[in-house]
Amino acid sequence: MTGLFAGLLIALPIGLAAQQVGNLDAPVVKPKSYVVYGADQQNVVAGKRSVVELHFRVLDGYHVNSHTPKSELLIPTRIELQPATGVKAEAVEYPTGTSYSFSFDPTEKLDVYTGTFTVRLPVVAEAGTHSVDGTLRYQACDHAACYPPKSLPVQVIFTAK
Amino acid sequence: MKRSGLVFGVMVVGIALLLWAGWHNLRERRLAMQQAQENHVVLVPEKAGPAAQTDSQSPEAEAMQMRGKVAPGFTLVTLDGKKVSLSDYKGRPVLVNFWATWCGPCKVEMPWFEEFRKQYAAQGLEILGLADDVDAGKDAIAKVAQKTGVTYPILLTDGKIQKAYGGPDGMDYLPMSFYVDKNGVIVEETAGLGSKDEIEAHIKKIVASGATTAAGGQ
Repeated sequence: MTGLFAGLLIALPIGLAAQQVGNLDAPVVKPKSYVVYGADQQNVVAGKRSVVELHFRVLDGYHVNSHTPKSELLIPTRIELQPATGVKAEAVEYPTGTSYSFSFDPTEKLDVYTGTFTVRLPVVAEAGTHSVDGTLRYQACDHAACYPPKSLPVQVIFTAK
Repeated sequence: MKRSGLVFGVMVVGIALLLWAGWHNLRERRLAMQQAQENHVVLVPEKAGPAAQTDSQSPEAEAMQMRGKVAPGFTLVTLDGKKVSLSDYKGRPVLVNFWATWCGPCKVEMPWFEEFRKQYAAQGLEILGLADDVDAGKDAIAKVAQKTGVTYPILLTDGKIQKAYGGPDGMDYLPMSFYVDKNGVIVEETAGLGSKDEIEAHIKKIVASGATTAAGGQ
C-alpha cells in the first residue's frame, strides 16, 4: 500500500512535468494583426482646439504603407472615426513615412511606417470624458511577402477639463 | 495506529503539494503561452527558400499544407470574361499563383513565370494567375498584368478558392504558389518570393511528373 502511494508520489510530478513541457513546446500562433494600438488616457482643454494622439506600433520585421504611398495601387494607412457626442473632430493628421525599397527591387521607392508612428486628431470637446471609436485600415508586408489588408479597431479615450 | 496515521498525514501533505504544484505549473504555463503569443512573430525567413518559408511546426502551416494533396478544382473567369477551370489542364503541369495588385513581391516573380511558361511550353506547362484582390477593379488588375508583361490567364477569384487553397481565413500572405503535377497533385507549395532558380526547380518537378499529355489542355 505504502509502495503504491510512493509510486504515485513519484509518477504524478513526472506526468505533470511531461504535460507542461509538451504544452510549452506547442507551436505559437502567428499574429493576425501586424499593427498594435497603444490606448492611453489623455487630457485636453474643454472647449478649445486640442490634439489627441493615437499611438501605433508596427511589429518588428514588418512595414505598412504610409498614408501617402507612392503608387495608386498600394493601399494607404488610414483611420476612419465614428462621430462622438460632445466632440468635434477635424481631419486626422498623419505622419510622414520613410522611404523603403524591397531588396529584390531597389528601384521602386515605397513610403512606409515602421516601428512606432503617431496619428494626430485635432478636436474641440465639451467637458467630460469622451470615447471616439474608429478603425485603422492598413496593409502590411515583410521583406518577401505581403499580407491582406487589415482593420484594427481603435478607441480613443480622453478627458476634456 | 500511530504509524498509519503518520503515513496518512504524509500522503495528504504530498497530494496537497502535488495539487499546488499542478496549479502553479498551469498558471506558469498559461502566462508563458500568453507571453509567447504576444511576443512571437513568425516571419517569412530571411532566406526566401520556399521550403523554409512555411514553418512546418505552425498550426497555420499544418492547416495550409497542401503538398501531396489533389489540387482543389475551380472554375473562374478571366479578365476577358472567359471561364477557365483547373480541369481544363488535366494531364498538364500547372502553376497556380495567387497574387494581388498591392503585393510588390508578387509583381517581381510574374515576369519570371511568363518566361518559364514559354521555356516549358513544349512540356505543356501552364501558369494560372489568380488575383486575390477583392477591392481592386478589373482595370487595376489588367494594368498590373500588362505592366508585368504576363500573357498567361489572369483569373478573378471568388473568395471560395482562397479558402480551398489557403484555409478558412483565405490566403494569409502573398504570393502563394502551388505547383500541380500532371496527375493533379500539388507537389510543391511556396509562400513569399522565392528565387528564380527555386521557381524553375519546382517547375521542373511538375514537368517531369507522370505521363506527358499533348499541350492544349481543353
